Amino acid sequence: MKTKLFFAFAAFCCAFLAYGTYQGLVVAPTEETMGNVQRIFYVHVPAATVGFTLFFVNFLASIVYLWKRSPRADALAATAAEVGVVFCTVVLITGPIWARYAWGVWWSPWDMRLNTTLMLWLLYVSYLVLRRSSTAGSTSVLASSLAIFAFLDVPIVYMANRWFRTHHPSPMIGTPNLDPRMQNILFLNMLAFLCFGALIAWFRYEMERTSQKINAAHVQRAAGGAAGLMLIPAMFFATPSHVNPIAYLWGGYLAAWGIYVSYLLFLMRKLARLKKEAAELGAG
Amino acid sequence: MSMSITRLTWINVSKDLRLEWRSRDVFNSMMFFALVVVVVFSFAFEREDSRPVMGGLIWVAFLFSTTMALNQSWARELRNGVLDAYRVSPAPAEALFLGKCLGNFILIVLLECLMAPLFVVFYNLSSVGPLWQLVLIALLGTWALVVNGTFFAAMSIRTRNRELMLPLLLLPISVPAVISMVNATTQVLTGEGSPTVQLKFLAGFCVIFTTACFLLFDTVLNAE
Repeated sequence: MKTKLFFAFAAFCCAFLAYGTYQGLVVAPTEETMGNVQRIFYVHVPAATVGFTLFFVNFLASIVYLWKRSPRADALAATAAEVGVVFCTVVLITGPIWARYAWGVWWSPWDMRLNTTLMLWLLYVSYLVLRRSSTAGSTSVLASSLAIFAFLDVPIVYMANRWFRTHHPSPMIGTPNLDPRMQNILFLNMLAFLCFGALIAWFRYEMERTSQKINAAHVQRAAGGAAGLMLIPAMFFATPSHVNPIAYLWGGYLAAWGIYVSYLLFLMRKLARLKKEAAELGAG
Repeated sequence: MSMSITRLTWINVSKDLRLEWRSRDVFNSMMFFALVVVVVFSFAFEREDSRPVMGGLIWVAFLFSTTMALNQSWARELRNGVLDAYRVSPAPAEALFLGKCLGNFILIVLLECLMAPLFVVFYNLSSVGPLWQLVLIALLGTWALVVNGTFFAAMSIRTRNRELMLPLLLLPISVPAVISMVNATTQVLTGEGSPTVQLKFLAGFCVIFTTACFLLFDTVLNAE
């Protein structure tokens, strides 16, 4: 029953994502100054939404764990952090690809918004490293404590756009500066990616539970997105104004999907290994 | 008979300082490390007016020395089974944590007092803005590093790769504090702008994270 529901949800997500991507790439109006590059917006912003949501889930699950000591909450926290890191990686890779065209630089080192997002990513990677390297019994408690610390930084990240000078575009949702058609397509994509995030998190959560059951919880670093990076080297040598914005658009989309797909492949491999291990131990 | 938390804290601080005074194993190595960092930086960054980069240099040097000192601060307790003894004793864990923090704070402030003249000598440094602001930034910044550092050092000794883990946990958490410390210091040194906003941010950071450390220390100490 659960499996059927999962596959139904997966099919729904695929269709929804395909529709959202089609809307973003084809139907959405072209932005006046940035041209087609702006369409990266439809993967960048939804990925940030999903990433931040998952970090919030991680925070809540960690509190519940410290309070109730339930292994389910711990599994949920681990899942949310790992999948959140994957989405945050997408944000950090699609952002610079857009910035290279729009600003002429990949990264602006004194921009608070960029720094704080990078910092969040580092924090949750350190969370995953802590989960991996702490001694078996204390992992969950130590990780939950760290999660609470990490989340204390999230409001700072959120407010950074308002408190500090930054190049990053301010949030535009609900303002007259955003074309309503663009806004609708953005919301559509946000919803699609939230479903996608929930799907991956569900999958990962089941794995984490299996892994808990056979007492061999391996939490691994999120896939680095090497596949998506393939397109980037060529862009280093090109002057942004002479390059077709489409190249950057494809770079952004490929990087994002490269990361998602390689993470899914990584999960598949891990699942196969877990199944084997569970079968050998007669657990699960 | 139960002792007040103030008295317990004082016992912890005086014990730590006395041990350090007799052995000087942390302080000597930390001092030498800081000296080497200052000298290496002075070779690496040779320029006419060093004021714009000094804020960064000073705090990176302090951050590294602090990480090194904090790594040692719980190692002794772990070796001698003090943490286990503390777990079974009725004394509140917060006193242990506060004592450790204050001890480390005194040590790092002492180190900063000794290192400041070195920066002045090697970089021919003088401040355009008022000096008391630098002192305030140093005190708040050091507390921000020490309180989180002591907490995460207690966490990292529970992991398999003890010493390696502390910078991995401490540096990302401290990034907002480090950014505001560096900005504020640069603003005072160059006399461009007032560090008030950065100081407020730093004070807020100290309050939030000190509270979080106190609330969670007991949990980390007893994590099994």
